[in-house]
Amino acid sequence: MMQGFTIGRRGAIAAGLGAAAGVAAGGSAGAFERDGNRKILVFAGGQPVPVIDPHSRYDWSTRMIQQSIYDALAKYVNNPPQIVPWLAERWETSADQTVWTFHLVANAKFHNGDPVDAEAVRYSFERGLRMNKGVAWMLKDVLPPENIVAVDPRTVRFTLSRPMPSFLTFIPLWFIVNPKQVQAHVVNNDWGEAWLTGNPAGSGPFRVRRLEPQSVIHLDSVPEYWKGWPQGEQNRLSGVIYRIVREPAARRALLQRGEADIITEIPADDFEQLKGMRGIRPEDHKGLTTFAITMNTTKGPTADLNVRKAIAHAFDYDALIQIHNGAATLMTSPFPEVIPGYVAVPDMPRRNLDKAREFLAKSAHPQGGFELEYVHVQGLEDPRRIGLVLLNSLQALNIKVNIVAQPWPTMVARGAKAETAPDMVSVYVTPVAADPDVIAGKYHTRAQGNFWGMHHLTDPQISQWVDAARVEADETKRNALYAEIQKRVVELQPEIFGMLANRRWLMRDWVKGFSYCPLRLTGEVDLHPMWIDAR
Amino acid sequence: MSLALPRASFAQRHAASLRQWRFFAWSFGRSPSSMLGLAIVSAFLLVAAFGPWIAPYPLDAEGAMNLANRLKPPSAEHWFGTDEMGNDLFSRVVLATRTSLWVGLTIVGIAGAVGVPLGIAAGYFGGTARAVIMRVTDVFLSVPGLVLALAIVAALGPGILNGIVALSIVWWPGYVRLVEAKALALRNEPFVEAARAVGASDLRILAVHILPNCTSPIIVKASMDMGLAILAAASLGFVGLGAKPPAPEWGAMISVARTYMPNWWWYAVFPGFAIYLTVLGFNLFGDGLRDILDPKSNRG
Amino acid sequence: MALFVLRRLMLTGLMLFGLVVITFVVSNVAPSDPAALAAGPDATRDMVETIRREYGLDRPLPEQFVRYVGGILTGDLGRSIVTTRSVTQDLARYFPATLELVILAMGFGVLLGVPLGMMSAVLKNRAPDHATRFIAVSLVALPAFWFGILLQLFFSVQLEWLPTSGRLDIASPPPPFVTGMLLVDSLLAGEWETFGDALRHAVLPALVLSFPCLASILRVNRAEMIEVLSSDYVTAARAHGISRLRVVCVLALRNAMLPTLAIIGLRWGWMLGSTVLVETVFDWPGIGLYAVSSAIAGDFKPVMGVTLLIGVNFMIVNLIVDLLYGVLDPRLRAGA
Repeated sequence: MMQGFTIGRRGAIAAGLGAAAGVAAGGSAGAFERDGNRKILVFAGGQPVPVIDPHSRYDWSTRMIQQSIYDALAKYVNNPPQIVPWLAERWETSADQTVWTFHLVANAKFHNGDPVDAEAVRYSFERGLRMNKGVAWMLKDVLPPENIVAVDPRTVRFTLSRPMPSFLTFIPLWFIVNPKQVQAHVVNNDWGEAWLTGNPAGSGPFRVRRLEPQSVIHLDSVPEYWKGWPQGEQNRLSGVIYRIVREPAARRALLQRGEADIITEIPADDFEQLKGMRGIRPEDHKGLTTFAITMNTTKGPTADLNVRKAIAHAFDYDALIQIHNGAATLMTSPFPEVIPGYVAVPDMPRRNLDKAREFLAKSAHPQGGFELEYVHVQGLEDPRRIGLVLLNSLQALNIKVNIVAQPWPTMVARGAKAETAPDMVSVYVTPVAADPDVIAGKYHTRAQGNFWGMHHLTDPQISQWVDAARVEADETKRNALYAEIQKRVVELQPEIFGMLANRRWLMRDWVKGFSYCPLRLTGEVDLHPMWIDAR
Repeated sequence: MSLALPRASFAQRHAASLRQWRFFAWSFGRSPSSMLGLAIVSAFLLVAAFGPWIAPYPLDAEGAMNLANRLKPPSAEHWFGTDEMGNDLFSRVVLATRTSLWVGLTIVGIAGAVGVPLGIAAGYFGGTARAVIMRVTDVFLSVPGLVLALAIVAALGPGILNGIVALSIVWWPGYVRLVEAKALALRNEPFVEAARAVGASDLRILAVHILPNCTSPIIVKASMDMGLAILAAASLGFVGLGAKPPAPEWGAMISVARTYMPNWWWYAVFPGFAIYLTVLGFNLFGDGLRDILDPKSNRG
Repeated sequence: MALFVLRRLMLTGLMLFGLVVITFVVSNVAPSDPAALAAGPDATRDMVETIRREYGLDRPLPEQFVRYVGGILTGDLGRSIVTTRSVTQDLARYFPATLELVILAMGFGVLLGVPLGMMSAVLKNRAPDHATRFIAVSLVALPAFWFGILLQLFFSVQLEWLPTSGRLDIASPPPPFVTGMLLVDSLLAGEWETFGDALRHAVLPALVLSFPCLASILRVNRAEMIEVLSSDYVTAARAHGISRLRVVCVLALRNAMLPTLAIIGLRWGWMLGSTVLVETVFDWPGIGLYAVSSAIAGDFKPVMGVTLLIGVNFMIVNLIVDLLYGVLDPRLRAGA
């Protein structure tokens, strides 16, 4: 007879396969999902997981699932973030940091039993680069695909076309797929993309049981996972259900009723109310997603540095914190603190209306009397509220603000050209790796055309420093350059430097194994070590 | 000698129509639901007209901010409580009335201005003109109005003006349908034939004979549509494609307030109730008008 | 008859083309770079270019239009940028959910509207009649999205009787796929638990969706019933010793059938359209939610697909209603 597979909650819903329907588990003790005698962790978030192909796209929810199905050579853990060996047990680099050699562990296996060998690694990187999507931007300028060599089954060598000190910071984001499975599903030279979009070919701690991109993703833990389970075999979950619940109020209700074990994307006011409730544990950590309002430095009133400075000094920074109920910190530099090379820039603009008026008086519009367009991504609540703060702040300077919501593609299309870029745009930037070059690059002329480059700043000095720093192998010299860059950027005020909102989760207190690492994306959680501690 | 006829008073000259109007008023007044509709619509118009004087904190609809006072429940100072920016909800609900009135009037106005002439033309001239107009109308009628409006607003960007444009685009075909049928019936009436026989131009016939005879159903439909247009605009607001902040708009308020349910219930409840009352008012009023102006029409 | 159907079908085809033109124009009015959406925030320009080529967005608009129309003829509605899947595939996945909701809502409309309308007529001008009529007007005036939220709060959050959103409980495995409508599939598979679960999820959204339709059906049935009550049939039938109630019910039901049918036909497309709101409130993964989330994200192929699908539905149902009218109403058949 079939093994009794039962999922039950408080014994109320017992669904079974075949004749096993009668074997209801649960009882009244716990409200978590059960699957036989193991538990299922239920995570409710608002964002779907359209694509599980690790080389074609990522965002926080997608990354969370990809990280669960796949492994990379190394992994980000802990706070402050560390890179720990994963599929690679060790690595070394040449003195000039152009040749990187990774030595793979011996026991790693894909879910279908194939070994994770050097060829799989080589293939995966080549695939990522050739598809030219998702993660490709990180390495495409330095790593020609033919420069990746599988030296022997357990050694891979990457030869970069220029020194890249930050190479290692991107390694945890390149997941390894099983070439045999992928190649069997290649259609029209697509690198198996069509198939991998909805099918897994990984070696990670979880495999896919059910995948409905817009509503539910059900993962099963892999009992024989090569890396083992830190919580112990005893406590290993049966699996994880990631459920897409678009409404924050509905997510909250699920958590309160114990139908979800962990939720994220929580409005600040909800968090305040729920964090003290019995049975609920808050996780509240300083994030590293910067929020800024970029200003068009090439046209309109904001082309004038004095106007930009005036705006930056009129903006109500405290309100920024208040609308997050205190769960945010103001930026003290264009860099988030976690990024290597960060320095606190002295005299970051704060609200000071006298100073603001002084700056405005020096501009071509001493009396204000003009209107600025503030554009944010349609459907996002926080930038709308921040727009209201901006509108309110600038009333003091007699500057009007026109708050406009636009779909992302429209905003990007407009922002790509200096002539059409809006006066002001709300921009969130989440660094995916601990690489200062990515952040500094936001102010390089090459940033123009990207959404974070909507300021269209052209400053030869900054560009030159950025170019020099990215290839500088000496850490001290590199950091000195980054310090200069940060100061110069603040001087030129291409944006209102805003805040870093906290990353927050609420979970039932029986959820264990959560560990925060800032170098994951906003709501992302490492599911591998998690478990449920309840009878 | 000429007989000095006493000059007929206004009442005497218009005795017939006055009698009819009195009858209308009387029968309208006899129906409690019609009167309720009239009362709500009047109240709505008054609030729209005098909003800025009624609202205790008119600045709260223009981007004021009082973060220390966020999400306060209804009280003596804030009858409907406050929202997430600390603004007075009563003021915002009251001032949003004007937005809604404007939205309703413009959509119905544009729809009528486009639909009525097309409908008359189609019904009166017939032939190819009718075929073309009615086929185009049918295409638009088969389009799910809300979905198309949604697409238009999403493409153009949210805002009341774009909402009005979008809803007007999907709203006019109803008027073509309504008027076309009526004009078709009228074109062969004896008085129209007579007018044509004495050489009246088409334009004159349309203006003097056809249009006035179509007014009753148009008025009835317009009064019902006022409510429905307001509801549709609020629906766009609800999916996040409503008025630009800080302009107050009921649908947009509910859209934001949704996140704050149920703990901050007042935020969504009052704007929603305002929509309900307004639409109800116009519906009851329109129903009442139909009973007296257009009693034969299909009530489905 | 065949000629009539053929003519209607050709006309429908023409109208569909019109619909395609409208949706295409709408989705291209604003400058937009959908490829940037698929490429992600960090993508370089040439990565965006890769996507643009892949989705054919690098072609001139007229060419894109011709390709789109050509695609439609082969059942290809283009690809969604957000889900990366073909719109046809996505619609096939989401449409059954919507269909389930709309059919259930129609059911509510008929099951509640017909008896309430009759009761209202029998008790004409008495308190229950006034109440029912007032409710009918109210149902049209209630903003579905708002009332849906209130119902959700009351029945799901407050009383905890019904689930807040979605189609099934988190851990309930869906029944084997046959129609995609969970209520039907679970019955076919004999999974009663799942059926109950799916039904509990569907009740509130279907109810909210049914309101305007319910109101129309109620009004029509009331009007028909009043007519029947005042007709000679009743008196005649009574004279033959048939119970009044029976005469009235049978007659009124028969008379009300046609207008009720017409309403269902008229409301069909309309209801599919208003799922946009109801599905958003109840997180119901159907075409309405699909359209809204795509529209907000600036991904227009799905919106066009949904518009077309609803348009086609509207046209087909209208055609069917017209034909049924012919069958059910002999007068029309003789006249035609």
